[in-house]
Amino acid sequence: MPDRAAWPFPKPKIRFSVAALLACACLSLAAVAWAGETLTVHASFTPDELSAPPNLSTTMTFASSTGVPRPVSSLVAYGPTGLAVEVRGIATCERARLEIDGPSGCPAESRVGFGGGVGVVELAGVPVKESYTLDFFLAPRERGHLAILIYADAVSPVPLQPVLTARETHGPPPYGFGLAVEVPPVQTVPGAADASVESSYASLGGANIAYYRKIHGERKLVHIRGLVTPPTCPNGGFPFETIVTFEDRTTSTGSYLSPCPRGRR
Amino acid sequence: MLHRSMVSRPHRYAVRTATAGRAWAMPAALSACAVLAGSAHAETSATVTPLLSPDRLGARSTLSFTTQFADPSAGVPAPVRRSILRFPAGLTLEVPHLRSCSLSHLRARGASGCPAESALGRGRALVEAHLGSQTVAENISLWVFLGPLRNLQPTIEILGQGYTPLDERVVLSGTMGPTGAPYGEALTLLIPPIPTLALEPDASIVTFSLVIGARAQRRARDANTLRLPATCPEGGFPFAAEFTYADGSISNSTAMVPCP
Repeated sequence: MPDRAAWPFPKPKIRFSVAALLACACLSLAAVAWAGETLTVHASFTPDELSAPPNLSTTMTFASSTGVPRPVSSLVAYGPTGLAVEVRGIATCERARLEIDGPSGCPAESRVGFGGGVGVVELAGVPVKESYTLDFFLAPRERGHLAILIYADAVSPVPLQPVLTARETHGPPPYGFGLAVEVPPVQTVPGAADASVESSYASLGGANIAYYRKIHGERKLVHIRGLVTPPTCPNGGFPFETIVTFEDRTTSTGSYLSPCPRGRR
Repeated sequence: MLHRSMVSRPHRYAVRTATAGRAWAMPAALSACAVLAGSAHAETSATVTPLLSPDRLGARSTLSFTTQFADPSAGVPAPVRRSILRFPAGLTLEVPHLRSCSLSHLRARGASGCPAESALGRGRALVEAHLGSQTVAENISLWVFLGPLRNLQPTIEILGQGYTPLDERVVLSGTMGPTGAPYGEALTLLIPPIPTLALEPDASIVTFSLVIGARAQRRARDANTLRLPATCPEGGFPFAAEFTYADGSISNSTAMVPCP
């Protein structure tokens, strides 16, 4: 059952292709063309090292010949074999708490990333751009699988705070860890087209994230690893793949090879 | 931060220091009150609060210097990139043993291993950044050291170390030099960007507090310390600060410590 976004404002709805962000999370650079629309994705690891806990930063831009990109209804993104996720030391946030209280309701230690972008809503027949931010929180495991809550926050002209869930998945070789997101329909005003996303970015994890924990009665600084790059890099680079499904059920797949760290394979 | 008007023993620097930021709170009874005024030419404004403790003329003393940045419209102030702090004429820094700690050492190893004789003070700072929909804050511990002489001028290195949520180390470098009356010397401090996460904005300093000179109760005979001028100008000891922000804007703040 797809996640339902939390809509404190019942009338206007936006279809956030937040899922696209997660595509970014696993892509280095990709361009997906379909029906006159183009999706361009950039991503990079900081630091760019093997077997290291990096920050993964991504950007995604939609370009449409019709002016307004189509909404994304789901997205699956795969990273390369060997990409690991170590969440030990990270707190978790309950979806209900995030929906009720917003990000302030989640433990600070459950934050795993941030982002934002520009969406498009239709008001009185006119497309209007709207900025939004993204907050990522680690959620309790679902049937043993990792889950991440995504809190999107758009303020004006249409205030929206949908909460989405990204769930762990795994791709066939040469892919590995991935995330899948269902994006619920996001309508704006009655009769208007669903909202869409023009651009988005995400910044997940980091090399120097640390939290204090009580260990055997002592307060100790615990460094969080989060994402961990593979120990080796295959010829050609790290493979990534993203499969985007749109509102009309058509799909597009983008693949990309992220260059290996300098001097390393 | 200190200008160097060196006298034989102990080494004596005329201080007009500026430590980039702000100073700790000193016991009110011991400190002279500062009257300050902040004038902002930009959205971000700054106020400085200097305190001298004890405040007896000609006495060894401790300078607490606190800076507070604010931008009511944005919530988080703009990142400051440079500060120029001007100190009253005659305020001197006494350095019994001239030892320094290098920038490269601080970046690589932190405060550990720096000669104790190079320590000038400690402090705290609060930095904030807008990440996603939230304002994320981090407390920073500060250590102030005498740096190597540069063109025969004293330098100051300030190590900033935050631990959570980002375990990060930043070193601020400053140089002392003479400035016009009624001030004696000025400290020009360069503040590097404080990175957060890729694609997210750098952190901004919200408060910055330094205490220069050994505290009275812990003042060792050989510790670096300040000495107040033998006379106090009419109106009190003048302090001034100029801050340049990442967006190119500038704000100024002045403060006066009443005469003892």
